[in-house]
Amino acid sequence: MRRIITMALALCLLGGGALMAAPTTVTMMQLKVEIKDALDNYAAKYSAAHPGVTVSVETLGGGADFGGAIKAKIQAGQMPDIFVIEGQGQYNVFKDYIADLSDQPWVKDTDLAFKQNGKVYGFPVSIEGYGLAYNADILKKAGVDPASLTTRAAYEKAFAKIDGMKKALGLDAVVAMAASVSGGMWWVAGQHNLAAYWGGGLAADDTSVIQKALKGQVDDARFLQYAKYVQLLFKYADKNILLNGSYDNQVGSFAQGKTAFLHQGNWVDPNMKQLGVTFKMGYAPHAFLDTVEKGLYLFAPSWYCVNPKSPNAAAAKAFLASIAMTPDGQDYMVNQAGMIPAFKSVKLQPKGQLSQALMAANAKGGNYGVFFGMLPDGAGQNVFGPIYDLFAQNPDNIDQFVSDMKKAIAGLPKM
Amino acid sequence: MTRRRLAAKVLAEALVVLLLAVFLIPFAMVVVNSAKTSKDILFHTLDLPANWGQLFVNIGLIFNNRTVHYANAFLDSALITFFSLAVIVLFSSMCAWALVRTKSAWSTILFFAFVAAMVIPFQVLMFPLVRWMRVLGDLIHFKLLQSIPGMVFAYLGFGCPLSIFILHGFIKNIPYELEESATIDGCSQARTFFEIVFPLLQPIIITVLILNGIWIWNDYLLPLLMLGSNGAVQTIPVAVTAFAGAYLKQWDLILTSTLIAMLPVIVLYLFAQRYIIKGMIEGAIK
Amino acid sequence: MQRHSLTKALFVLPCLLAFVMVMLVPFFYGLFYSLTDWNGVSDSINFIGFAHFGRVFTQPGFLYSFLVTIAYTAINVVLVNVVGFALALLVTGNLRFRNFYRAGFFAPYLIGGIVLGYIWQFIFNNAVPALGAALASQSMQVSLLSRADAVIWAMSAVNTWQYAGYVMLIFIAAIQAIPVSLMEAAKIDGAGYFRRVTRILIPMTANAFTITLFLTLTTSFKQYDMNFTLTRGGPAARFLDQPVNASQLLAMNIFNTAQANHMAEAQAKAVILFVALVVVSLVQVSINKRKEVEQ
Repeated sequence: MRRIITMALALCLLGGGALMAAPTTVTMMQLKVEIKDALDNYAAKYSAAHPGVTVSVETLGGGADFGGAIKAKIQAGQMPDIFVIEGQGQYNVFKDYIADLSDQPWVKDTDLAFKQNGKVYGFPVSIEGYGLAYNADILKKAGVDPASLTTRAAYEKAFAKIDGMKKALGLDAVVAMAASVSGGMWWVAGQHNLAAYWGGGLAADDTSVIQKALKGQVDDARFLQYAKYVQLLFKYADKNILLNGSYDNQVGSFAQGKTAFLHQGNWVDPNMKQLGVTFKMGYAPHAFLDTVEKGLYLFAPSWYCVNPKSPNAAAAKAFLASIAMTPDGQDYMVNQAGMIPAFKSVKLQPKGQLSQALMAANAKGGNYGVFFGMLPDGAGQNVFGPIYDLFAQNPDNIDQFVSDMKKAIAGLPKM
Repeated sequence: MTRRRLAAKVLAEALVVLLLAVFLIPFAMVVVNSAKTSKDILFHTLDLPANWGQLFVNIGLIFNNRTVHYANAFLDSALITFFSLAVIVLFSSMCAWALVRTKSAWSTILFFAFVAAMVIPFQVLMFPLVRWMRVLGDLIHFKLLQSIPGMVFAYLGFGCPLSIFILHGFIKNIPYELEESATIDGCSQARTFFEIVFPLLQPIIITVLILNGIWIWNDYLLPLLMLGSNGAVQTIPVAVTAFAGAYLKQWDLILTSTLIAMLPVIVLYLFAQRYIIKGMIEGAIK
Repeated sequence: MQRHSLTKALFVLPCLLAFVMVMLVPFFYGLFYSLTDWNGVSDSINFIGFAHFGRVFTQPGFLYSFLVTIAYTAINVVLVNVVGFALALLVTGNLRFRNFYRAGFFAPYLIGGIVLGYIWQFIFNNAVPALGAALASQSMQVSLLSRADAVIWAMSAVNTWQYAGYVMLIFIAAIQAIPVSLMEAAKIDGAGYFRRVTRILIPMTANAFTITLFLTLTTSFKQYDMNFTLTRGGPAARFLDQPVNASQLLAMNIFNTAQANHMAEAQAKAVILFVALVVVSLVQVSINKRKEVEQ
């Protein structure tokens, strides 16, 4: 009976960890289980090459609440030397523990460092990004050219066409989109999809729309176009996945060729490998406007920060610099961890198809910024999540969706 | 046996078998899916495994995993569970006996404090707990965080209210005359307890062991808070989460490692079942 | 006598020490934080009195969680105890392999966490709709977890599956403690099975009900783990004209609040949960105790 709380609570508050540092042990805490092996290996390699310095990495599993974990660390008096923040909200909370990295050698080699008032505070872990992933084989059979998908009208036509050929193509539905609270997928809609409204069709550093929202205001004409795009996605989405599906359900459906489009980023590459996918795929833009949009959404999902209160801060900074600036570090990022490096001088290519598509888009330019990290903490999960869930339950009721969202955005300044 | 009673009996048997099937289907799903690859778990969840040998492949993967030290976690979990149970049983029965055999206001107040504490949601405690454990550890120069003794101490604190509650009910029903005669014979209080009372507690202690054992063995949050996810000391539930990334979940390893973790509890339970019920009959219920 | 008291005080000490250090001190720490603006990290902690307590009751999300937790608890208290009692009746009957059945019914109590949620999610979202398709039943093809009006029942069903076997054990013990002669006498007097259950078994096990009701009440009220793995609070519903999460119980509401760096507000909500639980369980125990006395 005392077993009140179990596994699931992973999501909150985690603590403890690597032993309190001997003077030359750099402790690092990160949350990408996917790169745990690669990072542990690189840390061991680095430690071996630098006598007197040991880098010890703690990786948090289970899609855990990283902010909560760091909080517990601070409570326990074991703040790691290097840790991760995922955006403005966490920066605000942890800023007492975040060092100025402006003088670091890698700063001029990246556009994606975490900046605040002109100073650099975070080392970009990688580039991640997304558009609407498509199964090239299915589109070819259906006679849809992915290059034509640059406006909402084009999507409407393509979706209707593929929907009519579902049986012949062996599809359950056109789109694999998940938006449910119950599947834990609020972030697909409330963060990644909504990012189209914040940044789509604008210059990559244009934050005017989200700045307005943070003051509680909505650009009505733009939002209506966006809402119609969401409606389109929801109408052609597999209903089970949309209303209930987990990440595994959503990605699994696309991987089995039961849906033609997938609303996910390049982080699905390892899933595709695990599921033995052989078909060709690529990214089409989230073109929600009436005008043409061709860009994808690129961003640094998280940044490494250094704890300035630690006696090991200098060694921690040197370790980060080695990742960006040495051949071994770059090999770790790209070949071992399969990430897209955020540093322009890196010439290596990741193996995943979607990662390659993003790299190509990055080289071409004209992509859009991703700004959901600027929202107050909890806005995506606690405020937008249920609104999208309700809209998914009844996609015809677009007016309700628009009014709910306007009300929610009006409440942002008070959060 | 009349025909009607026979029919009733057959009906009851059929009903109980049906219910049992409903209760055990989820278990069957764990076992069946432990013998599959991740891909098959996702795409063919309901099918029987193509090859039961995969179960051993998965077990091998778990124990040979370079970054998740499952064998160590198993040992740490066993040590923490064992020592926690030992102190919970010993100290809770001492405490419960002292409370029963002392007729005073403070013993009543203490007993009700323990019972009332069973109502405190863990959520109220968890945020301040880690901070306090650090302060306390610094104060007494003893590491409470990231150590097995600290963990055992915490489990004693969280486990003793329910245990005292159960033991209290049992001890109340032990005739006082037994102890009285020993005291008259010149036996000290401590000896009276350990030589006469404690052996009588055996059936109820098994209940206490099982209930606390299941909880401690499966507990996730407290070890995570106090030990960290990658510290020198790690428990199985924490280790298992390392198989689950934010995006890529290795279901083959998650399910198989859960199955392995479940086995000792099930085996112990099967052995102890008779005593659990006996303990409950003679204990908490009266 | 002096020495006796000393021995007993020493006997109480270890538990008391651990209890105070692990539960009481953090509990009062928590009370203190609920009256501040602490965000969980910062060293600046300002005392703001009861501001959080007033504010949380204006949040539709929190109010809804509060109400749905009460509903969920009420359903559970009935379901778990009815099923648990029925199971106890079955396996105390004259069956072969009854120990095997008992073990089987208790077994779900041994499983927990991620796996439990994953499996039941699969059953609700895939297995039942597949069965519904096979039976051509329209209503079975919509997952209960996606219906705001049904999700609480689905959660209660899983909770019953998990706890009924445990409650069953307590009832078995209580039933076996009833003198066989009593039941035999009633049988000879011509009382039917149903009558024997309602007139003898239930009154004679009244004290077991006090315990099982208390346990189901408190665990349901504090439920988090299964809530998280099975529904994560979804699907969304509308309450006071605001989208809320239809199955978000109080504990989860508290966690999500803490996660969003409103640590002090989360503490305040936790204190409210505690007070509500104390009140409800006190009422329950005192009602039950009165019933026991009447018997």
